[in-house]
Amino acid sequence: MITIVELSKVLGDRTVLKDISLEIVTRGSIVGLAGPSGSGKSTLLRCIQGLDEGDTGTIYGLGYKGFLFQDFQLFPHMSVLENITYAPIHVLGELDAENNARQLLRQLNLEEFADVFPGQLSGGQKQRVALARALAMHPDTLLCDEPTSGLDVVSIQDVVRILQTVKKTGTILVIASHDLEFLSSIADRIVILKAGQIVADLMPQVWKKDLNVLKQYY
Amino acid sequence: MIENFSHYAFFIADGLRLTLILTVCSLLFSLIGGIAFAILRYQYWLRFAIDGFVSVLRGTPMILQLNFFYFAVPGLLGLPIDILTAGICTLGLNSSAYVAEILRGGIESLPKGQFEAAKTLRIPTWLIWKDIILPQVFRNELPTLVNEYITILKDTSLISTLGGMDLMRRSQTLAAEKFDYFGPLCVAGLYYYVLILVVTYLGKWAEKRWCHDNNR
Repeated sequence: MITIVELSKVLGDRTVLKDISLEIVTRGSIVGLAGPSGSGKSTLLRCIQGLDEGDTGTIYGLGYKGFLFQDFQLFPHMSVLENITYAPIHVLGELDAENNARQLLRQLNLEEFADVFPGQLSGGQKQRVALARALAMHPDTLLCDEPTSGLDVVSIQDVVRILQTVKKTGTILVIASHDLEFLSSIADRIVILKAGQIVADLMPQVWKKDLNVLKQYY
Repeated sequence: MIENFSHYAFFIADGLRLTLILTVCSLLFSLIGGIAFAILRYQYWLRFAIDGFVSVLRGTPMILQLNFFYFAVPGLLGLPIDILTAGICTLGLNSSAYVAEILRGGIESLPKGQFEAAKTLRIPTWLIWKDIILPQVFRNELPTLVNEYITILKDTSLISTLGGMDLMRRSQTLAAEKFDYFGPLCVAGLYYYVLILVVTYLGKWAEKRWCHDNNR
């Protein structure tokens, strides 16, 4: 559960977020954050995660939040398996962490890459490893920053399939993306930001008939 | 001539022990000190103190620091400091300042997201430094660190100015005794050169062993 109350953030002389109030409570749902570049999507995600702080306002969040970075941020000196097991080892113990990681690798079709280093993977494979790493910590909420950026069509379909599977486990997913086609295919709700403000908060029935409805807010 | 050189080589070799002990101890000191300075300067309240300390260590001649430790500090503390301790403190601290700067450069060249990604995975801060940040920094900065350790090895010769019987001092003693500077200095130079070749080789070996590209 995430509740944001009147969150604002200013960087220099630019208002990045302005009076954002948002409530995300439904478990097993996908909330899309859409908007043009520079609208504040990533900053909002970073504030929810606690990586950035707002100047005013409050964010309440329950449970552990995982974060999927736009540029993956895999640890380049660790193998794929080590990337996934390193953090859970301290929580689950070595054996459980490895079993859990191997299971995730199987689900994400990455089993053969367990001992490979991130530098040897394609963008889509890196994205899946980053997802496995985040999921290995069993997050209650998963925040995804542009998860399809730089991926080919097949990899995007993979990401959609995986995120829908994650949703079924009861995880709340908050996905920031400028890719409306992708968001509309996966989200249960789309919040549109423009110049740091929420300009629309829409449910699927609004855009199912015509995707152009979303574009009018850009 | 060859007989003289072999006599010189044996005589000067007695200084190897001090040179090597001083090098290894200073290297360990500077490694630990450098890592500590590099990490602690990310604590806001320590940053200015560490930056100031590093600046003074880099901004004053090492021979002055050596004399300070050997002659001035015992007066302040009321405790005698032997030549080896003064040498280790001087070389170790001075090199710590340079190692800290090398590591700082390495840390700042890593993407900020590496630290953030580790934080979001709830990895404790000390483990982030130990297992995520420093291994990457050492891989990237190993050639520069090897250069720094070559400099330490060469700078151990400064201890001869205090009378420490290292390679340099042994060659000077021999030169004064035999009225021959050419032979003893050549032999001492050869010892230093071989030692540095060994350090260079070890550095290259470590680079091959740990700095494999991983196709990053």
